[in-house]
Amino acid sequence: MDLLDKYKETWTKQVEMPCKFSTLEIYKMAHAKSSSIVKWIFVIGILEFVFMNSLYFFMDMDEAYKQYEELGLESFVLYSQILAYSILFYFLAQFYLNYIRISSTDSTKQLMNKIIKTRKTVRNYVFFNLGYLGLTMIVVTIASININIDHLNNKQIVMVVFIMMIATVIILGLFWLFYQLLYGILLKKLNRNYKELARLEKELNETNL
Amino acid sequence: MQKDLEAEFLSDFEQNQNIAHKICRMYTTDKEAHNDLFQEITIQLWKNYSKFRGDAKFSTWMYRVALNTAISLYRKSTRTIKTDDFSDVAFKISSTEYDDTEEKQLEALYKAIHHLNDIDKALIFLYLEDKNFNEIAETLGISNVNARVKMNRAKEKLKSILNP
Repeated sequence: MDLLDKYKETWTKQVEMPCKFSTLEIYKMAHAKSSSIVKWIFVIGILEFVFMNSLYFFMDMDEAYKQYEELGLESFVLYSQILAYSILFYFLAQFYLNYIRISSTDSTKQLMNKIIKTRKTVRNYVFFNLGYLGLTMIVVTIASININIDHLNNKQIVMVVFIMMIATVIILGLFWLFYQLLYGILLKKLNRNYKELARLEKELNETNL
Repeated sequence: MQKDLEAEFLSDFEQNQNIAHKICRMYTTDKEAHNDLFQEITIQLWKNYSKFRGDAKFSTWMYRVALNTAISLYRKSTRTIKTDDFSDVAFKISSTEYDDTEEKQLEALYKAIHHLNDIDKALIFLYLEDKNFNEIAETLGISNVNARVKMNRAKEKLKSILNP
């Protein structure tokens, strides 16, 4: 008899816990608040949406529009915002759909896939926002230089471009670091298990080839 | 309607709560984490119970939800559950004559299982619960062949831990 078979025999003999939970305790637990990783990803995702969009409230939009007008960028701002908001709603819908599709009755691999997909949607949304921010910065820089081109010498133009580039890199870098930390910690276990489950499949496929 | 469902759930779960306890004991090492994971499993089971509708055996369905919670959804939190009479996370062996060696064996088994990774734990659990490869493959979402190879490796790992 195999060593593990002996252990298996013992395993099947284990019965009731000496102190199992009562019906009332189970009832209370079933109605408690979940702290599952999916819930955290959802909550943090919502906060990201709210944060990204609330940035506009901190800016004086009238003043900003006036400046855009001076730079001749009214139509750029109008169309890019229409586009940005339609994309925003698309992401919101996707994010919500992904979230409600996650079910613990899926197979383990499917479940992990869906969690990772949900996370990716939020990440793409944030990257889109940062890209939009970067694009606006570039367009504004170019427009500013264009208008003042007669008053600026070459050295000053290079300086402006350089400063804008540094600022963009710093902002993007900070966001990247923040995400690595936040989701790195949150998804560490999941990613490890996902890789473990997916690795063999790859190995088997390779040996079959 | 809701009340009926709830009553049905409570009776189903109460009869099968040992499954959840076994999984908790495999995936956690202290009482607090054990209870915490048990609670999350309970929440997930209840949340999905209306979709269950008895198209499978409750215990089979429970294996999947409970393992998924342990592997993919659970993160140790610091919350504590108020339980009055839950004092010891140990199992009794159903032997008519009390046999100390069996309990020791079981303890050794759990201890060895703690050294395995989360996926191997699930495989070993399903093996110990006498599930066939179709069920195992379906639960984890991998192919039957994949499950067999993985199972062999997990068993080898466990053996080498039990009998170095």
